[in-house]
Amino acid sequence: MTRYAELQTTTAFSFLRGASHPQELVIGAEALGMTAVGITDRNTLAGVVRAWTEATDKEKAYKIRALTGCRLDFRDGSPSVLIYPSDREAYGRLTRLLTEGQLRGEKGECFLDWADLTKYGEGQLVIVVPPSNLDEAFERDLARAAGDFRGSIWLAGSRGYAAQDVKRLTRLSEMAQTFRAPLLATGDVLYHGPERRPLHDVMTCIREKTTIQEAGFRLEANAERHLKPPAEMERLFKRWPVAVERTQEVVERVEFDLSQLSYQYPDEPVPPGSTAIRHLTKLSCEGARKRYPNGVPTKVAKNLRHELKLIRKMDVPDYFLTVHDIVNWARTRPDPILCQGRGSAANSSVCFCLGVTAVDPTIENQDLLFARFLSEERGDPPDIDVDFEHERREQVMQYVYERYGRHRAAICATVIHYRPRSAIRQVGKALGLTEDITAALANTVWGSWGDGLPEAHIRQAGLDPENEEIQRAVGLATQLLKFPRHLSQHVGGYVLTQRRLDEIVPIGKAAMKDRTFIEWDKDDIDSLKLMKVDILALGMLSAIKRGLDMLARDHRENCLRMYGQLIENHAQIPSADPAVYAMLQKADSIGVFQVESRAQMSMLPRLRPENFYDLAIQVAIVRPGPIQGDMVHPYLKRRQKIEAVSYPKPGPEHPQDELESILGKTLGVPLFQEQAMRLAITAAKFTDVEANKLRRCMATFKNLGDLAEHRDRFIGGMTDRGYEREFAERCFKQIEGFGSYGFPESHAISFAILVYASAWLKCWWPDVFCAAMINSQPMGFYQPAQLVRDARDNGKVEVRPPDILSSDWDCTLETASQPGSRLKAVRLGLRQIRGFKKPEAELLMQARVKGGASELAHFAQAGLSRRSLELLAEADACRSIGLDRRQALWAVKGLAPEIRAPRETPLLAGLPLFETAAALPAMSDTQHVAEDYRTTSLSLKDHPLAFFRERLRRMGCTPAGRLDDLRDGARVMVAGLVLIRQRPGTAKNVTFLTLEDETGPMNAVVWQRLFVENRRTVMTSGFLVIHGKIQKESNVIHVVAERFVDLSDWLAELKVEPGEQTICPRVPGRMVRSRDFH
Amino acid sequence: MSLGLFAGQKAADAAALVPELDSVDYDPDGDAAALEALCDWCVRFSPAVAVDGLDGLFLDITGVSHLWDGEAAMASDLIARLAANAIPARAAVADTAGAAWALARFGRARVVTVPPGKQADALRPLPIAALRLDEAAAAQLPRLGLTRVGKIMDQPRAALARRFGMGLMLRLDQALGGLEEALAFRRPPTPWFERLAFAEPISALEDLERVTDDILAAMAQRLAARGQGARRFILTFHRLDGRAFTVSAGLSRLGRAAAPVARLLKPKLGEVDPGFGIEVATLCAEEVETLSERQSRLDDDAEALAQEGVAALVDRLTARLGEGRVFRAIPVQSHVPERAVRRGEALSDLTEGWDPDKPRPVRLFRQPEPIEAMALLPDNPPSRFQWRGRMHTVTRAEGPERIGDEWWRRPLDQVGSDWVRDYYRVEDTAGARFWIFRAGLYGGETKPRWWLHGLFA
Repeated sequence: MTRYAELQTTTAFSFLRGASHPQELVIGAEALGMTAVGITDRNTLAGVVRAWTEATDKEKAYKIRALTGCRLDFRDGSPSVLIYPSDREAYGRLTRLLTEGQLRGEKGECFLDWADLTKYGEGQLVIVVPPSNLDEAFERDLARAAGDFRGSIWLAGSRGYAAQDVKRLTRLSEMAQTFRAPLLATGDVLYHGPERRPLHDVMTCIREKTTIQEAGFRLEANAERHLKPPAEMERLFKRWPVAVERTQEVVERVEFDLSQLSYQYPDEPVPPGSTAIRHLTKLSCEGARKRYPNGVPTKVAKNLRHELKLIRKMDVPDYFLTVHDIVNWARTRPDPILCQGRGSAANSSVCFCLGVTAVDPTIENQDLLFARFLSEERGDPPDIDVDFEHERREQVMQYVYERYGRHRAAICATVIHYRPRSAIRQVGKALGLTEDITAALANTVWGSWGDGLPEAHIRQAGLDPENEEIQRAVGLATQLLKFPRHLSQHVGGYVLTQRRLDEIVPIGKAAMKDRTFIEWDKDDIDSLKLMKVDILALGMLSAIKRGLDMLARDHRENCLRMYGQLIENHAQIPSADPAVYAMLQKADSIGVFQVESRAQMSMLPRLRPENFYDLAIQVAIVRPGPIQGDMVHPYLKRRQKIEAVSYPKPGPEHPQDELESILGKTLGVPLFQEQAMRLAITAAKFTDVEANKLRRCMATFKNLGDLAEHRDRFIGGMTDRGYEREFAERCFKQIEGFGSYGFPESHAISFAILVYASAWLKCWWPDVFCAAMINSQPMGFYQPAQLVRDARDNGKVEVRPPDILSSDWDCTLETASQPGSRLKAVRLGLRQIRGFKKPEAELLMQARVKGGASELAHFAQAGLSRRSLELLAEADACRSIGLDRRQALWAVKGLAPEIRAPRETPLLAGLPLFETAAALPAMSDTQHVAEDYRTTSLSLKDHPLAFFRERLRRMGCTPAGRLDDLRDGARVMVAGLVLIRQRPGTAKNVTFLTLEDETGPMNAVVWQRLFVENRRTVMTSGFLVIHGKIQKESNVIHVVAERFVDLSDWLAELKVEPGEQTICPRVPGRMVRSRDFH
Repeated sequence: MSLGLFAGQKAADAAALVPELDSVDYDPDGDAAALEALCDWCVRFSPAVAVDGLDGLFLDITGVSHLWDGEAAMASDLIARLAANAIPARAAVADTAGAAWALARFGRARVVTVPPGKQADALRPLPIAALRLDEAAAAQLPRLGLTRVGKIMDQPRAALARRFGMGLMLRLDQALGGLEEALAFRRPPTPWFERLAFAEPISALEDLERVTDDILAAMAQRLAARGQGARRFILTFHRLDGRAFTVSAGLSRLGRAAAPVARLLKPKLGEVDPGFGIEVATLCAEEVETLSERQSRLDDDAEALAQEGVAALVDRLTARLGEGRVFRAIPVQSHVPERAVRRGEALSDLTEGWDPDKPRPVRLFRQPEPIEAMALLPDNPPSRFQWRGRMHTVTRAEGPERIGDEWWRRPLDQVGSDWVRDYYRVEDTAGARFWIFRAGLYGGETKPRWWLHGLFA
């Protein structure tokens, strides 16, 4: 039988050139019985790890080899070549070559000359790709190439079913002989199977920014560029059989395999004269003494000894030292940067003692085991994720670059995939649909879209789903989904190496200046077992840090009096405060970390958290896993003592209490990822290998990995051992939920620390909390309007509007007007004014400090732009200098011109110095409120709905504040501004709406059927009336919607001049921009 | 409006609101042409008519309104006549163009007449958009509460000028009459038109030929004076009884010289039936464009001369065979052969050539013709084939060139890799070369069939 290896392939990682994933090519080539498949994307190695991972998957036991290669396109006109490094050193040269080329261009470009290849050419196998025109220039190039790479060079020839294939191949074979670059048969593959031709054509159109009708010869003439079986290749190359057989020769000469990328950690943090493990031991012991000032408990000491032993055995102490070094640097800044480890590292006492994590794994009743973090059997390198204040993470990143150098530290890539919206937009454009139709299709897309765009959505957009063109667009867009679009830098995943990083992976430029990132993403790094540290940004850490700073500065005396010290970091916050838990039990949690979403808020009064561990459960329970697995209600019932705690039991021949030990602390209901894992091992008897695969599947959401293959094994395993099928299925459903958003217990506990810290601030210092949260925007779930409202209503905080004489850029605290108040008043910052820029705010603040500026003209002289002054005027921030909105705007407009067109000067020259006063019409209250919303997104004067209350009352609407009085099941009609629309991925059949009127927020639930019927209204209305029924459960009130009336038009009335009719066109009004989550 | 539709709305949104909505593509050129036509038509009301923007007309009716018994009656008549032609319109009569513009658009009635000197009162209640303001001023003034023209008029003039510039003052003054406004009045178009009237009716063919020469010469002179040339000449003979006979000639290149055109027209004069005699001849030149005078240079190359020769040949062939029968095959970027060519003007230049790697026959049939053929192996050409009843034995062949169909022309679920044609260039024993193809693949769902698509030279 003929042996053949496909050595010329283009995958989806040659963006918009290849229409198959690397994995698909491996699977396809294996199925056709090839010996190997080489991945040769254009000037990149971005797809090679995926192919290699697929080919080396132990379970699948493929016979095929995935070769690591690359196609080099040159800028100096040299013919393109396919490069296969023959050994590890040649591979390092190839990555250096690519790195050099990429650093020459902008992001996504790679500029190479032939001279670069010869410089790094040692050990490379070179296959020349002939151009379409086999002219003398090519002969010269081939002669030169053959001279440079004698004995390691081939000439590629392929059969694309063009008119003169045979003539061309004959010519190539002559040239091959003349220049001693033997002819090598390739398929020049663009996709694994011919059915991908339409998708490939569409990709071509997207790439060429043209339409399918206009693309002409830029498209391929036929669907022949797919993988073909060896026998077929033999037939196509009947006259050159050696060219097919020769592919084997190339495969055999490639000794390099990605598994050879041996890896060493950087050793910087180790002081001279010490060893890594000795230094780590020393730091751990010192840390332990600090953590336990009253003596290190035996359990901790035992843990430390055990962990250190394993760390030494696995030879990874440098990793811990590196992470410690980064964390320690952040903590020891003059203004320390708050940070905290998340994820499975919280299982480790070493991490706790090093200060990397904030959770003590030895505390009773927690299920934190070091093995979850690091295990010899798994052999995976440790993986620590650390959160830093989101606004100061950049400093940490710069430190990493400084300390390890750019040649040894770089950020991982993230593969950006086509999302439904971008896919339909691009495909629509490529198929020549009009902008209108494409936009309409794209706008119906909300959230993920699996097998296609539901017809109903298309119909609601005013389009006909039966229409051929629409079907074609939707069909192809669905195919395009999940294809990589481009590489971007990962949010914070760093790869650090001892050896030059550019000899391991090509490094490219990022869009951000001075940023570089490697071509591989986290999954690739995982597969190759390289070391990585995640330096993440967390908004809440910034908010807590700002809050604590503000507390120490503005409430200094109070703090010292109440706590005996200034609280500098969240570890010093008084713990186990019943007032904090009481607040959370009331679902008073707007702004609190993690438990502020609708779903969390409705859970709080039912779960009634009483202690720290309850917070961890609270964080973990409202997650896709437990919800999908239908574990939430059983847990709640047991907690509320409505249902007795019981443990499903296996058949009598097995230990009857095996689940009790796993599920004891969560009342028999699996809630955490670890529990699901232990279920798999204990109850479904997964082997270590199986469990590891399952864990990997759960740990990261993989585009192509699927959990489904574990399903039968898991459910079968449990039912075989006598568990009820229904219970097993629920458990597996939960695992599927973890697949997208895993929450291990260690992670939940780490997060619970921040839940408590933010709740404590909100409970005791709502003024500080409100200011700190707004100053850390954008973050979290709520906008400043809701935070302000919550602070005023629930925290009894006085809030003052932005003001030209009193406001800084950030919100600040001022003495409250009520004498003796413990809390201070919040002065909103200038950041709240839409469009106002920070440097302008700084100018303004300087002008006040320096010159005691007190008039618009002073600020203008201080250099504030006319635009900024107008923004201040329009935001009504000039009241303190005696001007209302219109007066201020009139005054700003009247200031001496900044620079005006000279032609106007002669006319203006005669204008009187003192003007006659303008008779500007006064604004109505409604206009002021509408303008407040337009300029600052909130109004402290009144709520827009207050103006409509009388009309709404006549319509029969109940204000939000009165919903408490209604009984469960009562019919009700409510009206409000739409603040938030949320369609959780976990609850596909329900949409949550948060409305707000002048008496407070209210929540509505829209079931799927109703949502479908009223999709447009629900998705676009800014002011909505909902008819429905009250649903009350544990003091959580929802309105279950039955019918909608869209009142968005009314909002335009607010802006109408007193005594005038509305004159603006009836464009649907939106007072607030809602936040839509999905 | 009551349906929730408004200008500037997205078509898809509008269609979603009103499913039975009839939508028409935006055609700015067509709209502009129609407005200009309407402008010309309005000349019957006043000689001074100007097009205003995309949707308006200005008529200067100074001194003509008495013909209608006053301004109001005149405006009403105009609107009524437009309405009779299914053109909805509004009109206003005022002292100033600005005021008329404002009231026609924002006035309360379809026809508004402002008494002389009263425009200020009429404008007061109108929104400021009535002042034709620039975008910045239009956005800023309402923020100050200055939403009506009257409120602006009430502000101190200097303060306004200082804040909103002279643009605002200019518009205000133009509306109120403080400042003249120059309008671009449209003159009736000057057609390229010649007319010859005869004292005695003519009917002899020689006379018609002489008239043809004369009138063409007159036109040529006028065209030359303006440096213009034309592509089409339409000659009409008007008979005493009112019937008219038209002959015309088209040129493949821009021209104006009388002789070549006459050569093309004269053979057609036989079609003209003079009846009792012809009293008037008119000549119209169409597709008039600038034609620079060509100077024959000493080194003028032979190719250009040949081109001239070809041009003359093309014109004569066209005159003989009819319009559109003489053409040049122009390549189109498509893989499908019958779509890869279009008929272009005979003398047009090729912007891109034919790809030598894709040999195409000189003669491509409009419809491929079925042939009987058999091939031994997949990918092999047939050894013989029968076409139009004759058997051809293949001696040489090249191919296959595989061409997939344009999948985007069929529903996505019917796209398959079977829809291909394998083309072969074959030569028979007589040395004739054919372009044949097999539609479909052996072993595919449908049995492949053979076709002949063209002949090579």
